[in-house]
Amino acid sequence: MIGLLLLWKAVSLFFLPTFLPSPVELLIRIWSIFSNPSAYPIIGKTLERVLAGLILSMLIGAAIGLVMGLRRAVGTFLDSWIMVLLTFPSISWAFLSVLWFGISEIAPIFTVVLIVFPYVTMNVWEGTKAMDKDLTDMAAVFRAKRSLLLRKVLIPQLMPYLFSSLRISFALSWKIALVSEAFGAGRGVGKELMYWFQGTRADMMLAWGASFMVLMALFDALVLRPWENRVFSWRQITAA
Amino acid sequence: MSPQAVVIEGLRKMFPSPNGLGQFAVIESLSLEIACGNFVSVVGPSGCGKSTLLNIIAGIEPHDAGQVRIAPQDGTGSSARIGYVFQSPRLLNWLTVEDNIKFALEAQNIERGCWDERVKKYLDMVGLAGQERNFPLKLSGGMQQRVAIARAFAIEPDILLMDEPFSHLDEITARKMRVDLMHILERARPTILFVTHSLREAVYLSEEVYMMTVKPARIFKHLRVEIPRPREPEDPRLFDLEKNLVKEFFAVLEQDHR
Repeated sequence: MIGLLLLWKAVSLFFLPTFLPSPVELLIRIWSIFSNPSAYPIIGKTLERVLAGLILSMLIGAAIGLVMGLRRAVGTFLDSWIMVLLTFPSISWAFLSVLWFGISEIAPIFTVVLIVFPYVTMNVWEGTKAMDKDLTDMAAVFRAKRSLLLRKVLIPQLMPYLFSSLRISFALSWKIALVSEAFGAGRGVGKELMYWFQGTRADMMLAWGASFMVLMALFDALVLRPWENRVFSWRQITAA
Repeated sequence: MSPQAVVIEGLRKMFPSPNGLGQFAVIESLSLEIACGNFVSVVGPSGCGKSTLLNIIAGIEPHDAGQVRIAPQDGTGSSARIGYVFQSPRLLNWLTVEDNIKFALEAQNIERGCWDERVKKYLDMVGLAGQERNFPLKLSGGMQQRVAIARAFAIEPDILLMDEPFSHLDEITARKMRVDLMHILERARPTILFVTHSLREAVYLSEEVYMMTVKPARIFKHLRVEIPRPREPEDPRLFDLEKNLVKEFFAVLEQDHR
């Protein structure tokens, strides 16, 4: 770790600070972002889009994945369509959504959802294949209704897949949100990056990127992980 | 003579052949009757279609020919409640012991008001009082199977199907569970169809025994065990009976092979 920082410092000596800042210079720039109150509404706006895209992707993706798993015909039918969506270039969605929705709130969220939900669908569909048929039979023997079967038997088995989807979606969402903001939003972190790019200020782009990275890591550590641990508390105690 | 809880006539069940061509019969012209309140065992070698038979009675597998009649509930006339204890516990590991039992109660539309009382009563009965809030993975295999037994009894079934419920346990635990089951039956008496590959287990627990051979499964012997209950597992009369039945069983198997 320290070695890496020293190497970074050494390399940065050969360049202008605006091209490749040293670690300390980067910290100073990050501080300049956070000490300016006008940064917070910008970050807030982006977070809003990331969360909206994330939640929609999870809901849409999980619902489609579940239906694909429970209805074989739907699964075979949608399989290739999901693959098509997965292979379609992300950048095209970012441009297309600006063409379709203009500079609006919908464009970045639409881009995030279209790119992220197929991953969720694939993952959840995979999860439905790993479900234990013995438990479904048990529920059938006791005459469990469909809703009870879903709530207590099927969805709990999908939880590991839902959480891994959430992780992937979260990481993808904010990157995509930033890209699409760069082209199609009035305000946001992506727009800031675009602004500094046009001013050829790599230092400020790095500072914004690093700040956002720290925020996302905090969200992962403070929200996602504790939540996951709670949901899987039944696993941590194994047979005596 | 008490009325029949289950009557099966000329049952046939086909499975697709392993080579993918055509079908073969796992169960062929199988008939049996279970009187209300009786403990009946079906004994046969592993893989002879015993579990399939239970699944057909439970209504989760279709059959290809013959009749399966299950008497409706006394009084209400609605279809009989069926409880099931599987080879493995099949618990929902993400739910507490208590919630596993409530799952069955909810599935059976049993009034919410009596859930707590049922949970307590049947966990007490299987000797697991105080484990309500534990998760299944924290329990030993034997205890997990006790939860599964409590779950099946808690719905107060008219018919209880048991599919080699002790076969996954070590012999000492299994023996204790059989003795405990015998005592439980003094307090709660559903009609029981118990499937096992162990003749000793069958003669110890049951009032009637059906013996099956393989490929296709059919019944070659039906007998009553006329030893009063509760019985001692080491009762010499049980050993004698078992010995004779084993002889008979191998005689039939030999015949089949020829």
